[in-house]
Amino acid sequence: MGQVSLSEVKSTSYERSEVKKGYTDKSLHINVGSNDIRIHSIEEKIKEKFIGGKGYDLWLLWNSVKGTTKWNDPENAICISSGPLGGTPGYPGGGKSIVTTISPLTCAPIDSNVGGYFGPYKKFSGFDVIEINGKAKEDIVILIDGIEQEIKIFEAKDLPKDSYELSNELTTYFDEKKPVNVSVVTSGPGAEHTNFGCLNFTWFDAGRKIVRYKQAGRGGVGTVFADKKIKAVVARYGAVSMKSNNPADLDGLKVVTKSHAKEINELDPKQNRMALVGTTHLVPIMNDHDCLPVNNFKFGSHPGGKLIGEEVYEHIFDKGFDGCWRGCTVACAHGVKDFTPMTGPYKGKKVFVDGPEYETVAGCGSNLGIFDAYTILELNFYCDAYGVDTISVGTSIAFIMECFENKIITIEHTGGLDLSFGNRKNALELVHQMAEGNGFGVIVGKGIRQMKDFFAKEYGADRAFLQDIGMESKGLEFSEYMTKESLAQQGGYGLSLKGAQHDEAWLIFLDMVHNFMPTFENKAEALHWFPMFRTWFSLCGLCKLPWNDIVPEDNKNTSEPAKVEKHINWYAQFFSTVTGRKVSPEDLIPMSEAVYNFQRIFNLKMGLGTREHDTLPYRSMGPVTIEEYESRASRYDTQLKEKYTIDISNMETKDKVALLRQKREEQYELLKDAVYKRRGWTQKGIPTVETVKRLGIDFPEVLEVLKQNNVV
Amino acid sequence: MIKVDEKNIAWSSDMTIATLLEQMEDVEFCSVIRLNGKLVSSPKFKEVKIPDNSNIQLLPLVAGG
Repeated sequence: MGQVSLSEVKSTSYERSEVKKGYTDKSLHINVGSNDIRIHSIEEKIKEKFIGGKGYDLWLLWNSVKGTTKWNDPENAICISSGPLGGTPGYPGGGKSIVTTISPLTCAPIDSNVGGYFGPYKKFSGFDVIEINGKAKEDIVILIDGIEQEIKIFEAKDLPKDSYELSNELTTYFDEKKPVNVSVVTSGPGAEHTNFGCLNFTWFDAGRKIVRYKQAGRGGVGTVFADKKIKAVVARYGAVSMKSNNPADLDGLKVVTKSHAKEINELDPKQNRMALVGTTHLVPIMNDHDCLPVNNFKFGSHPGGKLIGEEVYEHIFDKGFDGCWRGCTVACAHGVKDFTPMTGPYKGKKVFVDGPEYETVAGCGSNLGIFDAYTILELNFYCDAYGVDTISVGTSIAFIMECFENKIITIEHTGGLDLSFGNRKNALELVHQMAEGNGFGVIVGKGIRQMKDFFAKEYGADRAFLQDIGMESKGLEFSEYMTKESLAQQGGYGLSLKGAQHDEAWLIFLDMVHNFMPTFENKAEALHWFPMFRTWFSLCGLCKLPWNDIVPEDNKNTSEPAKVEKHINWYAQFFSTVTGRKVSPEDLIPMSEAVYNFQRIFNLKMGLGTREHDTLPYRSMGPVTIEEYESRASRYDTQLKEKYTIDISNMETKDKVALLRQKREEQYELLKDAVYKRRGWTQKGIPTVETVKRLGIDFPEVLEVLKQNNVV
Repeated sequence: MIKVDEKNIAWSSDMTIATLLEQMEDVEFCSVIRLNGKLVSSPKFKEVKIPDNSNIQLLPLVAGG
C-alpha cells in the first residue's frame, strides 16, 4: 500500500449540472493527448433518438471516428455512459455502465455492459456520458470529482501494475475516509499485451470493507484504454438516493421499484437462487442439455461438469450481500474470500476473487477440459487482475489446445508448453505470459482471427480447418454456449452486431428444447424482437437479468411467456416515472430499433456490416470432425434420414459429415434471408432507406453511408 | 407423499420426474426442476426416480445469458 504517486497536470473546475428526470444533458470530453477538457450540452433531438447509454456512446463515437480509423488511432474514443434509469438504488440491476469503442478484435464498434458504481457516480457528478480520445505520452489517471466539482488529469508513476491492487490503492488515495464514494475503472498489464483487454469497474463493498469489481469484458475495450496510457478513470460522488435522478414521479418510481425488488426477493429462492449461486446454476443445466462447451466446443457435456457448477461454488462463495449496484435484490456478483493462488505474483497470498460466473466457468474450465473449481478460480483471478477478458482468453486457449492436439502447433512453437486439453498449469502459464508480454502467450493474446492467419502463414496450417474450429465471428471470440442444435442461436451469434456474444439473443432453450420457433419466420421474429428488447437495457443503464432470470409465478400462463410481459410493463413504468416521457410496453422496441440500426450502419461505415461478415465457423453449426460426428452419431444419422430423407445406409462417416454440413450451411443462409427481411434490411444485410426513415435516423451522414453502399 | 411447488401430491414407488409431469397441467415449459435441492434437466426426466417425501420445485423457462 501507499505506492501511489500522482502529479497533477490539468485541473478544471465546473458547476455540476443538476440531474433532471434521469439526465444531466451534459457530456464530458477529454483528449488525453492535449489534456483538453470540454463540457458540451446534449441536444434534445439526440436525447430523443438515442435515449442514453449505448445510444449516446455510439453517437459520440460515430462523430469521433472516420471510416478508416483504426482502434489504436488517437481519434478512436472510449465512451462510457449510464443511461436515464441508471443509478436508481433498489431497482434490481439499476446501476450499469456501458462502454463503447472501436475494437482491436473486430475493427468495429464494440459495446460492453458492466456493473459497479462508476456509471451512476459519473452521471451524478454531472455527465450523462464521457468521451475520451487522444493518446497520452505518459501514464495518466483521470479524476471526475462530483463532490469538489473538479476534473483532474494526473501523470502517474510507480503505480501497481495489476488491476486488483491498483483499484484498492486508488480507492484509498481518493477518499480514504469514505471509500464508498469512489469507483475506479482500470485495466492491467494483460490489456497492454493482448487484443482482448477488459476494464474493471469497482465498488466499495461496505459489508466486507474491500474493493470489488466487475468487468466490461468483451472486444478489447481495456486494450484501447491501455493504448491511450490511461491507468485509471476515477469517479467520486457522495450519497445516492432514489431522489438522485430527480425522477418525474418519485412516488410512482417507488411503487414500481418495490414491486420488482419484492418479487425477486420472494421468487429467486424458488427459482435459480442467483442470490446464492450467481449464474453457476447454468453449468449443470447446460451440461445436461449438451450445451456446455467442452474441448473447444467439440462436445456439449462431460461427466466432470458436476464438479464445476453450483453444487460446488455454493459452498465456496463467501456469504454476504453481493449486489454490484446498491440494493439490487438479484445480488448475483459472488466472490471467494481468502483464495490462495498456486502460481504467479500472488502465489501463496490470500486474495478475494470476484467470480466466477457461468461464462468464466465454461470458458476457462470445461472448454479447456479443466474440471477443477479452484483452477478456474485462479484463472478468473488473474484474468481480472491482468485486465483480460475471461471469455476471449478461454475460447482462444481452447482453440490453441485443439491446434496442439492436431499437431498444428507443437512444443517447439509454444516454448515447451504442453497445451493438451486439461493442462491446468500451462493454461495458467499462458495467462501469466499475456500479462508479461512474453512467450507464446503473446501470440494467443492476438485473438483467434489473427492466430488463424498467423498459423496458416507461418506454420503452413490448413486455413480451412482453422476457419472451421476457430470459434470467432466478426473477430470476437464466442461466448460459452454450444449452438450446433439451435439454428436460432446460431443466428443469435452470427447476426449480432458486435460479434459472437450472446447478449443480443439467447434462444437455445426456446428453439432447441421447447421448439417455440419451428419456421424460419418464427426464428426471424425472435431474432428481431429479442435483440431489440435486450438493446433497451443498455440504452437505459440497466442489467437484463432481472427481466427474465426470475419470472412471475403465473408467467407460464401468459400469451408469450418468453417475453415476460409483466416485467416489460414494469420497465415501461420505470422509464415513464423517471423520465416523465410516458411510454407503453410497445414503445420500447422502436427506441432500441433506431439505435440498433444505427449501429449496423456504423459497422458499414467501418467497411463491415454486410452479409459476408455475418458468417460463422462451422464448429458452431455442426460436427467438423469424424470424432465429433461419431460422438453423437445417432442424433446426426436420424436427422439425415428423417429430416432430409437421405439413405445413409452405405455411407462412410466422412461423407455424412459433408452432407450434414451442406444441409446446415444452407439452413443458415436461409435464416439470414428471413432475418434481414424482418429487420427491414436488404438481402445484403443493409438497412434500407425506408427503414432508416421509419426509425428517424435518416441523418445526412447516415444516408451518405447507405448511398456509398448502393442503398438509395 | 411428495411436495411439488408446495402442493401435496401422492407418491408411487415407480414415480419418475417424467411420469410426475405427465399427470400435471401447464408444465410444457418445464425443462429443469429441483429435486430435494438438486437440479435435474429434461434429458434425465425419464431416468430419475423420485424418493418418497421429496420436495420438488418446477423451474420456469431457462433464460440464460
